[in-house]
Formats: sequence, C-alpha cells, structure tokens
Amino acid sequence: MIKIKTLRFLLENTLFVWLGLAFILWIGGDSVMLPEWVQVLGRSHPLILHFPIVLILFGVLFFWIPKIDQKPDLKEYGELALLVGVNFAGLTVVAGLVLAQEDYEGNVLEWHQNAGLLVFLGGVLIYFLRDQSKKILQPSSLALAIGIVLTGHWGADLTHGENFLLSPLLDDEPELIALSEAEVFRDVVQPILNTKCVSCHKEGKIKGELRLDHIAGIQAGGESGPFVTAGDVTNSLMVERINLPLEAKEHMPPKNKPQLTEEEKSILMDWVLAGAKFDQKLMDIEPESELFVLASQKFETETTFEFAAADQDDILELNNFFRKVEPIYPGSPALVISYFGISAFDPSSLSDLHKVGQQVIQLNLNKMPLQNADLSVILDLENLQELQVNFTDLNSSQLDLIAQNPSIKSLSISGNSVSRDGLQALSKMTQLEELFAWQSGLSDQDEKELMAALPDTKIDFGFDSQSVVYELNAPKIESDKDMFGDSTLISISHPIATAEIRYTLNGDLPDSLTSQRYQGPFWVNKSAEIKARAFASEWKGSPESSIIVFRAGNPPKELRLLTEPNPNYFGKGNVTLIDQVKGKNNHTSGEWLGYQDQNAEFEIILNENQKPQEITISMLYHEGAYIFPPTQVQIWISDGGTWNRVVNEIPDQSTQILPSRFEALTYTLPKQDFSRVKVQVNRITSLPKWHPGAGAKGWVFIDEISLLD
Amino acid sequence: MEKEILEHGLNMNRRKFLSRLSLGVGSAALGSLLIPDLFSGKPNPEEAIMDALPHFAPKAKRVIYLFQNGAPSQLESFDYKPLLNKNMGQELPASIRGEQRLTGMTAGQDSFPLVGSYFNFDQYGESRAWISSLFPHTASIVGDICIVKSMHTEAINHDPALTFFQTGAQVGNRPSMGSWLSYGLGSENSNLPAFCVLLSRGRGNGQGVYSKLWSNGFLDATHQGVQFSNSEDPVLYLKDPESMSRSERRKMIDQIAAMNDINYREFNDPEISAKVAQYEMAFRMQTAVPEMTDVSKEPDSIVKLYGPDCLIPGTYAANCLLARKLSESGVRFVQLYHQGWDQHGNLPNEMALQAQDVDQASAALITDLKQRGLLDETLVIWGGEFGRTNYCQGKILANNYGRDHHPRAFSIWMAGGGVKSGMVYGETDEFGYNITENPVHVHDFQATVMHLMGIDHERMTYKHLGRRYRLTDVSGHVVKDIIA
Repeated sequence: MIKIKTLRFLLENTLFVWLGLAFILWIGGDSVMLPEWVQVLGRSHPLILHFPIVLILFGVLFFWIPKIDQKPDLKEYGELALLVGVNFAGLTVVAGLVLAQEDYEGNVLEWHQNAGLLVFLGGVLIYFLRDQSKKILQPSSLALAIGIVLTGHWGADLTHGENFLLSPLLDDEPELIALSEAEVFRDVVQPILNTKCVSCHKEGKIKGELRLDHIAGIQAGGESGPFVTAGDVTNSLMVERINLPLEAKEHMPPKNKPQLTEEEKSILMDWVLAGAKFDQKLMDIEPESELFVLASQKFETETTFEFAAADQDDILELNNFFRKVEPIYPGSPALVISYFGISAFDPSSLSDLHKVGQQVIQLNLNKMPLQNADLSVILDLENLQELQVNFTDLNSSQLDLIAQNPSIKSLSISGNSVSRDGLQALSKMTQLEELFAWQSGLSDQDEKELMAALPDTKIDFGFDSQSVVYELNAPKIESDKDMFGDSTLISISHPIATAEIRYTLNGDLPDSLTSQRYQGPFWVNKSAEIKARAFASEWKGSPESSIIVFRAGNPPKELRLLTEPNPNYFGKGNVTLIDQVKGKNNHTSGEWLGYQDQNAEFEIILNENQKPQEITISMLYHEGAYIFPPTQVQIWISDGGTWNRVVNEIPDQSTQILPSRFEALTYTLPKQDFSRVKVQVNRITSLPKWHPGAGAKGWVFIDEISLLD
Repeated sequence: MEKEILEHGLNMNRRKFLSRLSLGVGSAALGSLLIPDLFSGKPNPEEAIMDALPHFAPKAKRVIYLFQNGAPSQLESFDYKPLLNKNMGQELPASIRGEQRLTGMTAGQDSFPLVGSYFNFDQYGESRAWISSLFPHTASIVGDICIVKSMHTEAINHDPALTFFQTGAQVGNRPSMGSWLSYGLGSENSNLPAFCVLLSRGRGNGQGVYSKLWSNGFLDATHQGVQFSNSEDPVLYLKDPESMSRSERRKMIDQIAAMNDINYREFNDPEISAKVAQYEMAFRMQTAVPEMTDVSKEPDSIVKLYGPDCLIPGTYAANCLLARKLSESGVRFVQLYHQGWDQHGNLPNEMALQAQDVDQASAALITDLKQRGLLDETLVIWGGEFGRTNYCQGKILANNYGRDHHPRAFSIWMAGGGVKSGMVYGETDEFGYNITENPVHVHDFQATVMHLMGIDHERMTYKHLGRRYRLTDVSGHVVKDIIA
C-alpha cells in the first residue's frame, strides 16, 4: 500500500507536469499539431472540470477552520483535498487548452481560459505556501474560490449560451408583436436560428466557421460555402443539412441537440424560397403563402392600441343598466359599448360618448330607435372599428354621417332601408372590410352598384327570401270536443296570419281552388274527418292536417262483451264502449279496450224504439305499438231470432309506421226493425314483413261505439 | 433547586422552540416565494377571474348551444360509412368492438349485426363534407360550420352523459357551462340573465331534461340558468298581477329589499344578496323580455328563413329564433335542448321527423346571425351527448332498425365565434366505431369553448369544500386546430 507521504510526493510533482504542458499549449497552441487521441482528452474537459471545483472549494475551507494548526489530522485532510484538486485543475486546464483549438473563439473564451490558468497557478501557489500566516492565506483562498466560480460561469456561458445561469431572472415576458409590425427575418426566422442553431454557431463557438448570431455571419456563410442561396432551395446548404436523415453526420442540428420541428423547417425553407431577405415585413408577402400562414400564427392578430386608457371613473359613470361599457379584455385601453333596452333609449345619451371618444373601437346600437337622432358623436370616435346599427331606422343623412368616419372597418346596417342617397354615402366607404346589408331594400341593381363601388369589401346581403320556396307548415285544427252530442265548434289556425286555409269534411285532400275556404269557426253535427291545408303566395301549399270528431249518438240499452279484452287494456269493461267518453290519443289511458289474443266481439242491445241507421266504431291505430287497422269488420243484426250479417268489410291496411292516431269506421245499417246488433272486429294475426315485429300478433283498440238514428 | 431545574428545562424548551420556529418561519417564507398566495388566504374571486382572463380580446362574446338531447345518430347525419351498407347484417368484428362496455339494452344481444344508413349521403362545400339527405339546410351552410367527427365521452347513459357535457362531471351539482361563463364574464345586458335555457320536444323517442343541467352548482345563485317557458309567456310570473301598477310593484320590491338587507346584515348569507339582485333584475326584465320576444317586428323573410313553425311557441324553430334574439340582446349563454333523439328502434322514421324539426331552423340561425354581422362573435354548437352504435339494436331491416348508445365516437358541429369555417375535423374507422384521427374529449371541447370566450380553463377555478373545481376537472386541451 502506498503511504500517504509517497502519494503526496507524487502528486506534488505531477503539478509541475501540468504546469509545463499548460505553458506549452498556452504559448503555442495554434501551431501545435495534435494527434486525434489528444482531441479526445480535450473533449473530456467538460467532464473533468467538476472535480477541481469541488475539491479546491473543499480544500480552501480548511484555512478557515479556527485553530486548525492544533488539529494535525484535519489539516492533513485539507491539504490533501487542495493538492488533489489543484492536480485536477491542471488536467482540466490542459484539456481545456486542447479543446479551445476546436471551433471556439471570442471574448468569453479568453476570459474563461485566462481565469482557468490563474486559478490553477493560484492553487499551486497556495498549496506550497500553505504554512504561511493566516492573514495572507485566508484572503487569497477566498480569491481562489471566487476565481473558480467565475471560471465555471464563463465556461457555462460558452456551452449553454450567454447568461444561461441568470436568464430566468433577467427574462421578461416575451414582447408581443403585432402582426402588422412583424418582420419575416427578425421575428420569424431569427428566433428559430437563435433557439436551434446559435448555441454552436456563434461568437466564441464557431462550428464549421459559420456564425448565425448576426446577419453578417449568415451572409458570409461557413467553411463549406454560403449558408443559403436566395430563392433556390435545391442549392442551399442550410436546406440540404436540415433535411438530411437524422443519422447522417452532416445532419443539422446534430443528433443529440434539440431538433427543428416540421413547421420550423417549412418556415426556414419558405424564407429561402422567398429570397432570404432580412428586411421584409410579414404583411408584404402573399397572405395565401405557407410562410405567411405558418408565421402569422405566432403574432398577435390584435391591433395594439396606441391611445391611452380612458379615465376609470368616466367608464364607471358611463355604465348603466342600458349601456355596457367595457374594455375588450381586462387591462386594454380599447372599449366596447353596447346599448340595450329599446324603451329606455335616450338619443341624447349618445353625446356622453365624447368622454371616451378616443377609446371606443366597437359600438353596438342594434335595434335602438335612432330615427332622426343626432349621431354626430360617431365622427368623434376616431378609433371606431366596428359599428352595428341593425334595425335602427337610419335615414340617408345619418348614413352619410357614418360614412364620414374613415376608421370604421366593419359596418352592420341590416334592417335599415337604404335610399339612393344612402347608397351614395355607403359607396364612399371604400375602407370597409365587411358590410352587412341584409333587408336593406336594395334592388339587384343597387347591390351590383355597391359591390362595384366597394371592391375590397366583403358585403353580405343575407338571406334572399324571394329565391326559395318552402312548404308551409300544416294548420292546426281544434274541436271543442272530440265526441259531441249534437254539434261541435271547429276552429282552424295557422301561425302565419295571412295564410289562406282550405278544408274538407269528407276526408278528401283540400286544394287551393275548390275546397271550402276557412273564414272562422264553424259547427259540425256529425262524425267527420276534417282535413285542412294552408296556402300562401311565395310558399308551397302545406301538407294536410286532420282530426276526427265523433258524434256520440244515442246510447243503447246495454253492450255485452262476447270476447274478453286483454286484461291490461280492459278499460271500465263493457261500459267503456258506450260511456260517451272519447279515449285519449294513447292506448294506455284506460279508456280503451285492447284485443290481441282474440278478435273483439260484442253484442249491443238497443232501447225500445231505437232505430239506428249508422254505426261508428272509434279506433286507435299506432303501428309502432303493434296496433293495426282491423283485418275484417263484420256486423250482424237480429230481431231476437237469427243473426243476419249486414256488413263484411276489409278496411285499408297500414303500409308504414305512423304516429298514434284516431280512426272512425262508419257503416250504414239497413232500414228494418232489429233489436240487437253484433259486431266483430278482427285483429291482425301476423304483422307484415316491413314491420320490426314481423310475424307477431297485432292489436285492435276500440274506445267507443256510436249509433246514430 | 427543583424549581431552577424546571425553569431551566422550560427555558431550554422555549429556546429550542424559538430556534425551531425560526427554521419553520424560514421555510414558510420560502414557501411563500414559491406559492405567491400562500399567505394571502383565499384569493378573492374577482382576482381569480381576472387571472383566468388572458390579455387579448376573446374570439366569441356569446354562445348558443343547440343541444340535441337523446343523442342523434352520427351515422345518419355526418359520419358517412358506406361499409356499413355493404356489410349490412354482418357481425361487428370483435377486434373493432374491443373492450367497449355496452348498455343493458344490447349487452344481452347474441349478435351485433352492422346496419348502414337508410339515408343517402352527399358531399358539400369546399370541405367536401359528407352530409345525409336528412339535413339539406345544414348542407347549405356547410361553408360556415366546422364538423367535428371525433368527439368521444366517458358516459354511456343519457343522464350522466348529458351532465358530463354540461357540467364536466357525471354526477350532478356542479355548475353548468353557462354558469361558469356567467361567473367568469358576467352579463353583457344587465336587464337579462346571462344564462337562459329553452326546451323543445320532437316527435322521436325522448329522454328527460332536468334543471340540474343548468344548475349554478356551488357558484352564486345568480349564475343559474333561467328557463324560458314554452308558453306564450316565455318567462313565467314576470307580468305584474292584475290591478297592480308598476309603481306599486317598485315599492313592493324596495320593501322586500329593505327586509332582506336586515337579514343579510344579521346572517351575512350571500344567497340573500343574490335574491335581492334577482328581484331587481326581474323588475327590469319586465320591460326587457317583452321587447325582446316580440316577433311582430321581425321581417316576413325571417319566417321563411326559420320556417313557419318559428311562430309557434315551444317549437325548436321558435326557440332558435328566440335564441338569436336573446343572444343579440346580450345574453352570454343560450342553451337549447331538443328532445327526441333516442332512436333505439324505428330509427329511419323517427330520425326523419327529428331532422325535419331541427334542420332548417339550425341552419337559419347561422344565416341569420351572419347577415346581422353577429356570427363572428357568437359561437353556435349543435350536438348530442354521445353517438349511436354501428350495429342494430333489436331486429334489423333495411328500412327499420335501431341503434344503441355509443360513447366512443360521434359528431357535432360548431360555427362562428372564432371557429374555423368550412372544416371537417377528426376521422373514424370505416366501421364508424373508433376514432382514428384527432380525438376530441368532452373536456377538450369544453376547454375550447372556454378558450374561445377568452377564458383559460385551467385557471378558471372556484374553491369549494376545500378543493378547487373547474369545468374541465383535471384534463382538457384546447383544440387549436379548429380555431380560426
């Protein structure tokens, strides 16, 4: 085992080796030819440098321990730490001097290099003068410590970029640049170079002899040639290098450094293609170009406002329940003003806006009654960009006044009828970016004129009701009662008051010529299917709407159910059919008898002297709920003896699923004496193929039987 | 002697305590540097809101949300999947379905036969968006809308899915999106509520809506959605009772306010001052609402634009027209719900009826806002709470089938308010079952809406029961790609 003493002796000697090597490299570095393995040593500089920093700082600490002379062990540790540290410092200095032969130069490098050398020398001196008085050692060890920290800091600046350490403290919020102010190179291209390229191509570290930290360097190019060829992407080194595969040696940025994003690559290439200019404004390039689209996303499209904010008290004072005055965003000097409350509007209140004349950029007076109001304040709103005056009864002199404000970019005057004079006024507003002039009474010719006068303005004339013909919606038919004794009052309505309504009482489809015209509520005194349609000019006739009304007729003496309804739809039993209560449009309402497993069959016993001529069976159809029209209806009459079949009908069957609805099946009875009527209504036993429940048993639902004499 | 020892002990303790304390104070001071509001207590809500508002003008000032309640099928509207027609009746491959949980309504089915749209699709506009023949009017405004085909959600049943969309959580009692915006941005027109709700019902199979969807949750009660009624009187109990004059009403409100004030001073309950503010607003609404709902001032062409149903109170078309009028009058958030989109069966028939109810009026709303110069500042959203399965629920027929709930992929559209127009965003696989490109989660959607309104969804929080809440819970990314 090596004794400490031997080790010390060895290390003290190696110090002189480092001193010698450092001296040679410092003096003649530029002219020395270094073998490649030495280059590896040089590149280990950033690795080794951490040892001397820690060890020397640790070593000099011992000079500050009180009464260290009386503690020989402790003193020894300190001296050893210092010795090893200074050795490492020597190694680091030598490696650093080798590394400096690579692509580094500039002020920072010199500061770092010289400070490093001084630290090394200082360290050696302090080590050998370690037994001198504390008065000398303490201040000089302090100086050494400071020297080491400074050297390290300058070194970090070289690798990480200037002010790497302090930048989080120095950095302010990045300044927002307005789109209109942005320059292609300064604000789009250069920031990319700064973040992805400049750390290696800059003053102090000029890799490939290329400097990208100033325009002169970019123009000068590097050792392989010019950086870019303006307008030619195929012959530009930068374009070539950034597009090489990542593994390629020449690929830039190098594999282990932060890479360019696809968007950044596009921007760089587009910049070259556009001529690689250094003074072009973003707004000067084609708005459709990819460069513009990509670049413009980076900037505030908001205009920045030059004017000062209005007085806070003035703003507060202007705000009331019917006028909202607020900045476009918290802290902005620009104000948006909206008026609300038609009946509370006082035209003279507009003059209040003088107080914030400079700050108003949007004014909304929609629907306010501005007829003949004094709008002269609008002329004083020198920064007004957007004015909304839809439906305000503006006259042409008011329009003329508005037209004299040259700052307005967006104007909404929909719903104001614009006269010839008004049209003249509008035609002068060539600065407009958008104009909304729907419902402004302009003829096709006027519209063309306006478009010709304002070629750069996007004009919206809105929905043209003349050009389309839609179907009207169906009228609404209402009956006083669904089931009535003698008569019921029918009224028909349509939301469009001017629409003409035609109707029929026999189930036929109404038309606009021959059918009865509805002129007011009317009475109906027998069961009927009432259909109605609405017609209006510029509209297609409506689809039909229909209702069925039932005349209750005279109740019979009794009704007997011959087959039992489904227990779930049993209503009130046999009286259900003759209680003169119309079931609701819903089979579960408890007013319906439903049959599924068997056909509906019942017998009616007439009163004395009752001679019905007509029988109506009131049904519910709802295919979605498996409730279908009957497949067969049979009626027999009898005078106490044999049954005589007088009706055998097959009603129309459904072909599609329709909403739940009523149907009345009415049959005439023969003019002969009878005291009983028997009715059989057959349900569908197998639902048709088109139905989701194809093959299943269907239902019939009946709520009422009426007999008319 | 004992006394001295004790004193010494105490002193030692005190010294120790003080020295420890100084360390503690030091670390606390450090903490306060790192967390600026450590000692300022609960940040005052106004400051918290200001903090959430970025320093640029918002793209949208107002929102109209046309909620299609019940979940309209994306496969019969905006997500064209010809493969489903080609492979009609074939089994949904298990690899496509993956681990997707199903509702109790189809989980028991032995087979999951694919079913294609009964309705034809066509391409429209510069975006070449596919839109089914059920939505001809929507197709005509395709250049103004952005169709998002890659929405997905976490819930699979109506109530939690709706609640999730509206409040950011599947369970109730959180503030609704409209309440958050009312809280953050306040009312534009102080004579109307900042958040209004309109309901309508279609002819298809419907699902309920409940007031918890427009609840203010833990926010101040003034941010609650105000439901407008379907009747001729949109706001119930707004009229003065018969034989009561305006001045009497004024006196009454002043008296009630004075009494409330006494209570407020005693109990300091913010609900009381909210109540006073609501009475005051109701008084002003008495003139503002009739002015605003008056349809007689509308030009005739409006009826043609929205369809004549817009003159029948309570219809979807009438609500769309009313929504435009409310929005135009400065209501921050107008929420419509149209019920009837739950087509588990009888889909072709019911969906046709539903589309007939909403297509023209939805498109009309866009056109109408546009021609008034309001579309660029109003965000309109159309969509349901989830999508529907690509396989049939129940029996399958070419012209009659049903679809179950599907949370993994569905379509909505947005327009105006800073959203890119004429765009289709996101894509699903050829089965229309999974998203293949640009998924948009409900929280992403909410974050985007907030962003368009100028609010940072991550910073807009409200502290309640010891934790901070936000609309987007702990996730959500603004979908930058659809922002103009």
